[in-house]
Amino acid sequence: MYFRRFILGAAASVPVLALMAGAAQAVTTDQAKSFISDSGNKLVAIVNGSGSESQKAGQLRGLVNQIVAVDQVGDYVLGRYNNVATPAQKQQFQTLFHQLLSYNITYQIKAYQGVTFTVNSATQQGNDVLVDTTVTAPQKAPADVGWVVEDDAGQPKIIDVIVAGTSLRITTRNDYAGVITDNGGQVSALLSAMQSQISKISAAQ
Amino acid sequence: MTKLNRRLRQGLAFTVPALALATALSGCATAPPKSDTADYQAYQQLNDPLEPANRVFYTVNDKLDTYFMKPVAEGYVHITTQGIRNHVGDFASNIGEPARMLNFMAEGHSKDAGTSLVRFVVNSTIGIGGIFDPAASMGYPETDTDFGLTLASWGVPAGPYLYLPFFGPSGVRDAANYPVEWFATPMEAAPASGALSDFGYSETGLHLVNTRAELIQPIDQIKATALDPYATFRSLYRQSRASQLQQIDQRDNRTWPDWYHQPAQ
Repeated sequence: MYFRRFILGAAASVPVLALMAGAAQAVTTDQAKSFISDSGNKLVAIVNGSGSESQKAGQLRGLVNQIVAVDQVGDYVLGRYNNVATPAQKQQFQTLFHQLLSYNITYQIKAYQGVTFTVNSATQQGNDVLVDTTVTAPQKAPADVGWVVEDDAGQPKIIDVIVAGTSLRITTRNDYAGVITDNGGQVSALLSAMQSQISKISAAQ
Repeated sequence: MTKLNRRLRQGLAFTVPALALATALSGCATAPPKSDTADYQAYQQLNDPLEPANRVFYTVNDKLDTYFMKPVAEGYVHITTQGIRNHVGDFASNIGEPARMLNFMAEGHSKDAGTSLVRFVVNSTIGIGGIFDPAASMGYPETDTDFGLTLASWGVPAGPYLYLPFFGPSGVRDAANYPVEWFATPMEAAPASGALSDFGYSETGLHLVNTRAELIQPIDQIKATALDPYATFRSLYRQSRASQLQQIDQRDNRTWPDWYHQPAQ
């Protein structure tokens, strides 16, 4: 009986899976490498540019929204709490997440003045491609940074950054889950914490 | 024997109060009911039953770091160049090579053990006591392991997460590394002397300050951007350990002669 249900279920899910596989187009390694190379050049041009810090921050925020699949990363970061959050909370989360991601990236402008980077290799990982780069900044040891690139509506976009074997989106997911579990599983506590973090960073800039 | 006793007493004097404090404060996190499947699974996956006590130690360490270690590290950066800090790092890394060699042997990675041995011999001689790292340019790059990773390769699970007073992020399995690291230094093999002890203390102190100096920017960044720095450091620690293990496995080159026969496929 159970076996029959399993077979029927499996047979029914095959066409759905095939459709899903068709919908998520794979990025090729060459596409991902040239995308990371272009994006990196734009990033370096802004960081090492002559504008004021607030001008650079504005330019970086624009670039982040162009090259990072922020909504997808946000969904991943909220994780299982996507099922708990109300539609209004999810929308507020995405808005705050867009702002925080940009602020967190611009936080590093000063530290990476004079940065250069080289694209090394690219490895296909299912539908994603991991592009390895070496980032060098004055007075710092060179760092190996991996960029995970995925197709987002026909465009390659960054969905994760890997430094020394640690994933930025997994770390952020655990960071946010820590806030929610510490507050009795309330997503509203996370939204308040994100809001107060944004206020703190805005005041400091 | 006398020296071993002294080292043992010093080690115990440092770790026993820390462990006693840990036990006294070891409030346990309350597990969610098993009927709440998602929450219960997340709790199990987190594997941090001592979280309340761990968070207390995190706060204590954070204060110590903010008011002592970080200012010392900033002063050190002010009076040194990146080149000097790299050489200090190489020197400390070289002193750790014999322990790495033993750990690689215990893990059954003979080629990595050989790399550690060659690195120690070459860097201690041509590299002037390990200040330089000529072995890396000779094709023997630095490889990393410790007793926690050795236990992992023997199949010992990571166990619950621990945030140790003074030492920081660890786990039940990885905490076993501290006593091993304390004794597995080349200084232990030399005849006991006051000068050698002083050298050992100076080297440990300099290594700590040098490492903290290298981490000024990343730690500042985490503290400034994380909503829950404790959870962030816990996640980074676990991912980093998993990555170290993966690197050791991926680097598991076959030896010649083939000492470790693979079963026929």
